[in-house]
Amino acid sequence: MKSDYLWIKVWNYIVTKSDFWISMLGSHVKLVIWASCIVIILGVPIGILISRYKSLREPVLNVIGVLYTIPILGLFGFLIPLMGIGLKPALIALTIYGILPVIRNACVGIENVSPSVKEAAVGMGANGTQLLFRVELPLALPVIFAGIRTAIVMNFSVATYAVFIGAAGMGTIILVGMRTFNDGMLVAGTVLLAVTTVLLDRLLGWLEKIVQRKYGMESAD
Amino acid sequence: MTGSIEVELQNVSKFYGEDKVVDEVSFHVNQGEIFVLIGPSGCGKTTTLKMINQIVPHTSGRILVRGKDVTELDTVELRRSIGYVIQYIGLLPHLTIQDNIAFVLQLKKCPKKMQRERAMELIETVGLPVSYLDRYPRELSGGQQQRVGVARALAADPEILLMDEPFGAVDPVTREQLQNELLRLQETIQKTIVFVTHDIQEAFKMGNRIGIMRGGKLVTIGTAMDIVKERDEFIRSFIGQGAVFSALDTIPVTQALLRDLPVVKKGALVDPADSSFKGWEYAFVLDDNGQSLGYVSLAGMEGPAKIDPEKVQPLPSPSLPGDSLKKALEEMLWGNRGWLPVVSGEGAFLGIVSFQSCASLLAR
Ligand SMILES: Nc1ncnc2c1ncn2[C@@H]1O[C@H](COP(=O)(O)OP(=O)(O)OP(=O)(O)O)[C@@H](O)[C@H]1O
Ligand SMILES: [Mg+2]
Repeated sequence: MKSDYLWIKVWNYIVTKSDFWISMLGSHVKLVIWASCIVIILGVPIGILISRYKSLREPVLNVIGVLYTIPILGLFGFLIPLMGIGLKPALIALTIYGILPVIRNACVGIENVSPSVKEAAVGMGANGTQLLFRVELPLALPVIFAGIRTAIVMNFSVATYAVFIGAAGMGTIILVGMRTFNDGMLVAGTVLLAVTTVLLDRLLGWLEKIVQRKYGMESAD
Repeated sequence: MTGSIEVELQNVSKFYGEDKVVDEVSFHVNQGEIFVLIGPSGCGKTTTLKMINQIVPHTSGRILVRGKDVTELDTVELRRSIGYVIQYIGLLPHLTIQDNIAFVLQLKKCPKKMQRERAMELIETVGLPVSYLDRYPRELSGGQQQRVGVARALAADPEILLMDEPFGAVDPVTREQLQNELLRLQETIQKTIVFVTHDIQEAFKMGNRIGIMRGGKLVTIGTAMDIVKERDEFIRSFIGQGAVFSALDTIPVTQALLRDLPVVKKGALVDPADSSFKGWEYAFVLDDNGQSLGYVSLAGMEGPAKIDPEKVQPLPSPSLPGDSLKKALEEMLWGNRGWLPVVSGEGAFLGIVSFQSCASLLAR
């Protein structure tokens, strides 16, 4: 039957072309790691900043929110004329999509630290830095981490489109499979992408539990 | 109370926008004294307390800590030198009990070993097992958390403690226990304490002096006894009906002691017409060491005579000078008599207290 035949082709592809898809997966992961690093390094401080300076809060979140709603191909339409193709515009695209949950959660996480806890720390003589690093960030960590998890998982799927902007990744397998009418390759790429996304999400979910256990108040079970 | 003034507020006010939540408040707290601030909810107690360590900056007036204007001190250093127990405990949920207690020491970058030692010392001071040091706040009951809150405030051995309803979140029995422990501790540590509460019993029990606040104003300052004698309508209704008994609980019997008593020496000749017996039905019989042997009725004595040892009645069980008037009154009620002897620890007869002497104390 046709479908049985398809799964054999998929299996064949996965087994025989493992060198190729593993290297594509590697590029994909690398792109996501880079993008996630940028997202965290930029997003968390911005989140902290707008939690401190309330007047910046709405403008920043609005601008990021608008960028976030641009469809991905539309964004490429902007980036290619400006930056050409390759890794750099891909990273920028991923950063734009991933940074919103990180900024928002960092800001909300810090804002939600109980005022009485902060007051106790301040009353005991914590200065600004000590308050941030010893009280606010640790207590906001579960929320911040949830934002980071969302960003990474989203970047992992958005990175599939990076092939359109000339950056290799899992999207390459799917696109090539489509163009060459190689349905084994196409489905294999899709399956691999789905499986890795789920695994990644599970892994991050597990890490998130650990963080919550350590720093969260509500997970006292 | 002797000693220097540790905390002083001079016409201090606080505005939030147009709202004047603290209105020209002035008071001082002496070294080793517990000064209680009390008043209805929202009257500005917490705000007043927070201005002392500048968590809330004051709008006008002067606040002096150890004689120095707080606005001229380094705020962080000021706060580190003042122990602070906040109204809702506010333990840091992500830190162990040890790290909570030693938090100020961490901020001051004291060595780890010292932090551990100090935490061990303090957890015992507040009556919790050392094994709790490795727990997290959520694993403690409300009362235990309040004890940790007190231990934490003591960590840097501050001279001044600010305590905002430190025993607010516990049942009456635990509350009383914590109060007694703090009072006992205070005997040795002799801190200068500003203590906020809205429980008048607690105020009378804990406070050397009490300040009553209303709508941002400090309406009166005085000892428990001063306060129950207030005639002001608001104060009377605020302290309520039974308050006089709470106040009497804070006063030692020596305050109502009658010393000018008709006394006779054992074996001496007694003349009932002697002026010192005027108005008395009894005389107290003392031996040569000033110890009381009992009392004897003067009724029926016609002229000078020796006391018949047979007629000397033993004294009821006495009060000690340190006992409270409330305790003495209770004994009088239970013993169905209008007076009680007061005898020193060494057994010397000091005098008596009576319903009459208590009443005149209140009337004074
Ligand atoms: N940050 C703030 N901004 C505006 N108003 C405030 C602020 N903090 C306190 N207030 C107001 O100041 C008044 C006094 O508050 P405060 O907390 O000092 O009362 P309190 O006497 O401690 O009451 P409670 O017994 O309920 O703790 C209240 O009316 C309160 O609403
Ligand atoms: Mg209060």
